[in-house]
Amino acid sequence: MTERIDPVTLGILWDRLISITNEIVETLVRTSFSSIVRESYDLAVVLFDARGRSLAQGTFCQPVFIGTGPQTMKHVLRYFPPESFGEGDVVITNDVYMGTGHLWDVNLVRPVFRKGRIVGYALTISHLPDIGGRGMSAVNQDIHDEGLQIPLLKLVKAGTLNRELVDLIRKNVRVSEQVIGDILANVTATEVGGRLLLDFMDEYRLEDLAPLADAIVSQSERAMREQIAAIPDGSYRNAIKIEGLDGPIDLACRIDVAGDRLHVDYAGTGPQIRAGINVPLCYTRAMTCFALKCLVLPNIPNNEGSVNPIELSAPDGSILNCRPPAASAARMLVGHFVVPMIFGALADALPHRVQGDPGMMNVLNVVGRRRDGEPFSTLFFSSGGFGALAGLDGMSATPAPANMMCMPAEAWEPMTGMRVIRRNFRIDSGGAGEFRGGLGQEIELRNDTGHPLTVMILGSRTEFPARGMRGAGNGMARVFRINGQPVHAKGRYELQVGDTLLLEDSGAGGYGNPRARAPERIASDLAEGLVSPEAALRDYGFDVRRGRAAAE
Amino acid sequence: MTYRMGVDIGGTFTDFALIDDTTGELTIHKQLTTPADPSEAVLDGVATLLKRRAVAPAQLGAVIHGSTLVTNAIIERKGAVTGMLVTKGFRDVLDIAMERRYDLYDLTIRFPTPIVARRRRRQIDERLDFSGAVLQPLDAGEVERAAAELVEQEGVRALAICFLHSFVNAGHEEQAREIVARRYPELYVSTSADVFPYAREYERWNTTAMNAFVQPVADRYLGNLEGGLQRLGVKGPLYIMTSSGGTVTTATAKRYPVRMLESGPAAGVLMSAHHGRTLGLSNILSYDMGGTTAKGAIVRGGQPHKTYEIEVARIHHFKEGSGLPAKVPVLDMIEIGSGGGSIAELDDRGVIRVGPQSAGADPGPACYGRGGKRPTLTDADLLLGYLDPDFFLGGKMKLDRAAAETALELGLAKALGVDVTRAAWGIHEVINEDVARAFRVHASEKGFDYRGCSMIAFGGSGPMHALRIARKLRIPRVVLPTGAGVMSAFGMLVSPLSFQIARSNRVGYAELPRERFAELFAGLTREAAAFLLRAGVPQPEIRVTRRLDMRYRGQGYEIEVELPDELDLSAAFERLPQLFGESYARIFSLSYLQEPLEIVNWKVEVQGPTPAMSQHFHLALEHQVGAPEKGRRQAYFPEAGGYVATPVYDRYALRPEVTIGGPALIEENESTCVVGVGDQVTVDAAGNLVTEIAQEQVREAAA
Amino acid sequence: MTTFDPVTLGILWDRLISITNEIVLTVVRTSFSSIVRSYDLACVLFDAEGRSLAQGTFSVPVFIGTAPQTMRHMLAKFPPETLRPGDVIVTNDIYMGTGHLWDVNVMRPAFHDGRLIGYAMSITHLPDIGGRGFSAVNVDEYEEGLQIPIMKLVDQGRLNEELIAIVRQNVRVPEQTVGDLMANVTAVEVGCRELVAFMEEYRIDDLRPLSQAILSQSERMMRRRIADCPDGVYRNRIQVESVGDPVTLACAVSIAGDRLHVDFSGTSPSVPYSINVPLCYTRAMTCFSMKALLLPDIPNNEGSVNPIELSAPVGSILNCQPPAATAARFQIGHFVAPLIFGALAEALPDRVQADPGMMNLLNVMGRRRDGRDFTTLYFSSGGFGALLGYDGTATTPAPSNMAVVATEDWEATTNIRVVRRELRADSGGAGEFRGGLGQVVELVNDTGHPLTVFGMGARTDFPALGLQGGKPGARRLYRLNGEAVSAKGRHEMRPGDRLEMLESGAGGLGEPSRRPRQKLLQDIAEGFVTLGRAKADYGFDLAMEQSGKAAE
Repeated sequence: MTERIDPVTLGILWDRLISITNEIVETLVRTSFSSIVRESYDLAVVLFDARGRSLAQGTFCQPVFIGTGPQTMKHVLRYFPPESFGEGDVVITNDVYMGTGHLWDVNLVRPVFRKGRIVGYALTISHLPDIGGRGMSAVNQDIHDEGLQIPLLKLVKAGTLNRELVDLIRKNVRVSEQVIGDILANVTATEVGGRLLLDFMDEYRLEDLAPLADAIVSQSERAMREQIAAIPDGSYRNAIKIEGLDGPIDLACRIDVAGDRLHVDYAGTGPQIRAGINVPLCYTRAMTCFALKCLVLPNIPNNEGSVNPIELSAPDGSILNCRPPAASAARMLVGHFVVPMIFGALADALPHRVQGDPGMMNVLNVVGRRRDGEPFSTLFFSSGGFGALAGLDGMSATPAPANMMCMPAEAWEPMTGMRVIRRNFRIDSGGAGEFRGGLGQEIELRNDTGHPLTVMILGSRTEFPARGMRGAGNGMARVFRINGQPVHAKGRYELQVGDTLLLEDSGAGGYGNPRARAPERIASDLAEGLVSPEAALRDYGFDVRRGRAAAE
Repeated sequence: MTYRMGVDIGGTFTDFALIDDTTGELTIHKQLTTPADPSEAVLDGVATLLKRRAVAPAQLGAVIHGSTLVTNAIIERKGAVTGMLVTKGFRDVLDIAMERRYDLYDLTIRFPTPIVARRRRRQIDERLDFSGAVLQPLDAGEVERAAAELVEQEGVRALAICFLHSFVNAGHEEQAREIVARRYPELYVSTSADVFPYAREYERWNTTAMNAFVQPVADRYLGNLEGGLQRLGVKGPLYIMTSSGGTVTTATAKRYPVRMLESGPAAGVLMSAHHGRTLGLSNILSYDMGGTTAKGAIVRGGQPHKTYEIEVARIHHFKEGSGLPAKVPVLDMIEIGSGGGSIAELDDRGVIRVGPQSAGADPGPACYGRGGKRPTLTDADLLLGYLDPDFFLGGKMKLDRAAAETALELGLAKALGVDVTRAAWGIHEVINEDVARAFRVHASEKGFDYRGCSMIAFGGSGPMHALRIARKLRIPRVVLPTGAGVMSAFGMLVSPLSFQIARSNRVGYAELPRERFAELFAGLTREAAAFLLRAGVPQPEIRVTRRLDMRYRGQGYEIEVELPDELDLSAAFERLPQLFGESYARIFSLSYLQEPLEIVNWKVEVQGPTPAMSQHFHLALEHQVGAPEKGRRQAYFPEAGGYVATPVYDRYALRPEVTIGGPALIEENESTCVVGVGDQVTVDAAGNLVTEIAQEQVREAAA
Repeated sequence: MTTFDPVTLGILWDRLISITNEIVLTVVRTSFSSIVRSYDLACVLFDAEGRSLAQGTFSVPVFIGTAPQTMRHMLAKFPPETLRPGDVIVTNDIYMGTGHLWDVNVMRPAFHDGRLIGYAMSITHLPDIGGRGFSAVNVDEYEEGLQIPIMKLVDQGRLNEELIAIVRQNVRVPEQTVGDLMANVTAVEVGCRELVAFMEEYRIDDLRPLSQAILSQSERMMRRRIADCPDGVYRNRIQVESVGDPVTLACAVSIAGDRLHVDFSGTSPSVPYSINVPLCYTRAMTCFSMKALLLPDIPNNEGSVNPIELSAPVGSILNCQPPAATAARFQIGHFVAPLIFGALAEALPDRVQADPGMMNLLNVMGRRRDGRDFTTLYFSSGGFGALLGYDGTATTPAPSNMAVVATEDWEATTNIRVVRRELRADSGGAGEFRGGLGQVVELVNDTGHPLTVFGMGARTDFPALGLQGGKPGARRLYRLNGEAVSAKGRHEMRPGDRLEMLESGAGGLGEPSRRPRQKLLQDIAEGFVTLGRAKADYGFDLAMEQSGKAAE
């Protein structure tokens, strides 16, 4: 095996690595206890070479982790230089700044030994159902409210589990068997990952993964730079308002493109606040890279090389670069907006690539007891509509920028004892446009558990709807109701037995002037019941009775 | 001018010690104290003693004086009508005090009434922050009004001015002092920053209030004394003993009378230190036991251990926290409620407790035959044969053995189900244990290893217990100095002129520039030295000791670090972390901590030369003595199997070089020395009894 | 088996107590937080079987009751045969420890020529344990802070760096919390050293006969005192304010011969606030009350409380179950003392004390002017209850015993200014024997940063009651910038905000009309009682007084 790797081999090895990571993901999913990983894929798997450069990442991983994983790996190597590792070690952390930006994601790293030396590392991340504290909520005041912080520690030493650490974690979390179960699932996953990586090396007689990493990273980086170079040089700005807890929050960005270099600066963004929605820089970076990759290079596999060309900066202590002891449980409530903000900024530079604002995802953290008295603490994900693109209506009920799967009622009901009363599209919620924004959905839940429940709502888009692009209309704003009464999208509420919670998820923004929408599309929307006759008339000037555009 | 005289006023007696510095000959005199005006007894005694030794007053180089005057004035509340000016909002600091119960289970808990009545405390609108910055300037008008009210309506004669954080910035207190002085020059004024510039308002203000409270009394008293001595023709100066074991001029004493608290006992410790130095013993436990209490102190490397807090006027004499704290430089002494008069009883656990209750002098122990019915330590010691019923206080008083026996039988033995001897031995041992325990705790607080050090014991009951206590502590040597009855008066004679200043000034070691460190000490040293220079001590003869209270940043308590003399300030500055680490390890144990260091209090002590008291002073023989061995009597020694016929010696008849092996009893007027089995006593040139303690184990304590 | 005659027993016993006092001193002098310096701590020595030998004189009563239980739990997890020289065990478990997470229990086995001969334990209240902070409004134990299961803090002399790392990361003031933890380690080390020295000195090679003797002796004494009380069942029922509705505490004290049983049936169920009381704390408070009444003068010790049996309904606020929050358990628990005193008022009229004003506790979290964070407690006492023959002393804590922080110390460490601290006139309940006065404390936030305070004051709705005709004391009151606020709430203090705490006075004893005129005149002269109230409560008539004087 020579240093140089010809393109053909590279392609083969690369795809193989990706399929390996996907296998690891499956292991993780199959061995996890909590529905968050099992059903919603809130996880990531990354393989690294001996120098900690990422080789491949699972296809179905959360975009954010793809951005944070390589950073986490660097921290691990700083705290644990290779010589401090032994075979069978696994380190763990949920550190907000070294990890993924909030305490709920646990990061595990295992060095992979071959013939007594480290040839690579396997990293897995999953979102835990509980980490103690006040629970995953937007109203926590500082990180100490939020839960247990696990510094970078060895969870497994030479194959022996650190019992004391496990006991301590068990002691500090609500649904301990789930939490510990998930952590151990990660241990297993890293082990499988290590084994598969070794098989892979044996199979292709690789002594060292470095050359492969070099190739993959440089290849991806080169591709990314080419795409950036294709963007007209210049400064592109955008500033948006999003809802906070008390009063709106300003987000601003300026994207400087010069040749194959791109810099995103978030100056003008508001300061961090005493609530659990602050965003550590690692998360901001992840979202930035994700947004840009979507725009310019959607089709190459996730990896570090593709994001190397992207530089960014954010004011210290701003809500996109918060400092301890800021709370960050619901960092995505602010962080996700980085994506539409960047899309907005590049709307003119890349008219055919940008997308109408998505309705975004909405998360419920539910803590309570099942009918049988068993405590549970879990997350319920539901998506708004997907933004419309040039030539494409937005998908309905599709998450963006995150990628959590919604929980099936048949999984949710037995797990929690809550009842899903209805779940359907929210008519007219998609922003009107030549290409319509995706619809949000309506979900009604009822507390049939026989015990009071605590719900921590982590929703957005209640005051500032998803904006349309290029003359299109906005999506419908999100609404939460308890027993019919509107409640705060970031509040913490007690659901008494029999109380109902209604989520009306936001639609996405459209693309292009509604008047330019093809009549047959409007007709089909009407037929499908995605748009009401009244809306058709109001937004598109389409008169149902006359079966044609009123304009004519 | 070859004579000096030490005078110590005690509760009942005033002791005098006259020394001829050329011959080293000492003469002792005792006479009853005159409580109404103690200076009477003093002047009378001085005259008497001078006459007795045919010394002309003019030959008296100095009179050094210690007195319980201040202590008593505070306990009996016989001070002046005193007022107080305090920071607005803090009128009640003296009432609120520490908010801590000194006894968890006592529902009837009491605290001492504040020195200054609440109605005589006036609030002044002024405020500094913790850094000394002015938040609210002093309201001069308010100061004038308040002073006027206090003086003219309340008849206040002394005033304490106490403002928050004045130890950082004394500005407001000084302004207030000037305003008051301008209008009432005759008023006695004490300011808290001047009296003792330490952080923590309750202790500092309380100390200041006490100082003001006793100022007029002390002023009058010291005035009388000076006048009287002049009339006697004494030319030499009058020096006043302070609680720190140093002496000061009367001027200084009048300014800081509170520093005279407990000066008598301090002098005793000082004498122990002196004996130690002359006998070449550098580490010493000084142990003094009288009729109602026992006092102990540590002497390390020839220097008595010093501290900055004592408590006076306790509600429960021996319950820490039940009294008024005073922040003054003192010799660090422990006091235990154990003395000859201590009453023995069964506590609620059904075990023997001796003291702190005391039968006092009246009715006194049962054996005094004055109607005392409860068993006391003296009764036990009598039954154990340590005391001679016919030679108590040199025969001045007869003791009633039968009464003692009945008291022990009814009061203790019966309830315990043991015989009288066992009970008596129990009482004796409990006292020994109590004292030993107190020493242990005190020593370990100070990181002082007493094993291998020497004990110097005195006081009426000291010699009777000292040797046995020494065994318990594994102390190899006990010295029973000559003239143990008037140790304090002796102590006055070896006390140097000295003055201490301590100031709180919290600063991180890392943030502290080397120069600043030197400056701060230089300033304090100048301030302290001024007191000695005024007293005529030449600059070169002033010895300076520097100490720091330090801690890890974040800790709330400090440990004392003494800067070695041999180091210059900048070298000391370098070594500070190391010096701190050593002290810390000595007191606690190695620390796992890496926190930054912080200096909290800065202390400077200046000392004049120690008076050259001749190495081999001796008591003047003023009466005839007979044979050394007076005879034998039955005394109890468990190692010897119980009561044995024990030889009894007359201390005054013992010549130098004589050695005596225990068991034995050595009697002098004020007390009896009990020599245990195997102990070896040698009489040295100065007439001190130097005892080597048999180092066999103290099993019997647990037998 | 060895037996001790009373003479020897007394000697050894006192010596052991002095050793514990020495440990206390070590903790106090090496601790980092002002809380420990307020004597919120305890130190205990045990024999090889974990039976308590002696306890520090100045320990907080509650710990004296809990420590022996904690010891048993520790030995269950780490059986003696598994312990090695240099081991140190730690926990802050709510139910195995002292009833809330803030007290850390540190234990070290003592070895003498290779044999385990006993144990030393030290307990202190930590300044911060993470979580939402020491407050009355936490909802469950997971919100309250880091839970440390029983584990080794030092393993054969090797410090458990991982545990320290976890603690550091999870608390707001690491140097203080870890510093205090280490102060305890030092203390138990000193304790063991002294215990061994003690045995060498008295040639004791087994402490068990001694502990046996001490415990049985104490127990005998207690039984004797109980037997002196008239047989019967004595009941009492009081209301105590909670965060929500008031709760009821009820007890029935049955005395039969030398046996005493306290039953708390009729007590309200636990509440969703952090004022629930685990049984260990209820027991401790019960024992404290009985000891103060019956056997105040013997050293703290397990034996003396063995004869006291108690029972409380499971799930009641005096016997709460996980995951109940317990941070401010003392807010309810302290009332056990007046509850029991009240019950026995008839039986022991000369011993029982009128209700105390009780201690108020303010938890403060903020930042100093120099930017360093702090969290600490401010203790301030109400008045002490009157007793037959005694006025209650002013500003004296009960039943707990925390010392106040000197203003000059407090302002320097927190930069929070104390505007005033003065006695509260008329706050002591009128009576032949007057209740102790409370005080007024006014704090202003001069730190230049926002400040979070958690009030933990009782007696806001229900005053300290008097006895035998004595009147109640004044109630406690909190004011923030002049507005009355909850004494149990969480309040934000902006720079410049002022918080006034008016501490409650204690109840008086006996008819006010029977108060000697001289004492009343003095009260008036010193300003403890105002003329108006003197007239209202004591029927004092100034005019009559003066004409009376004129007549004399």
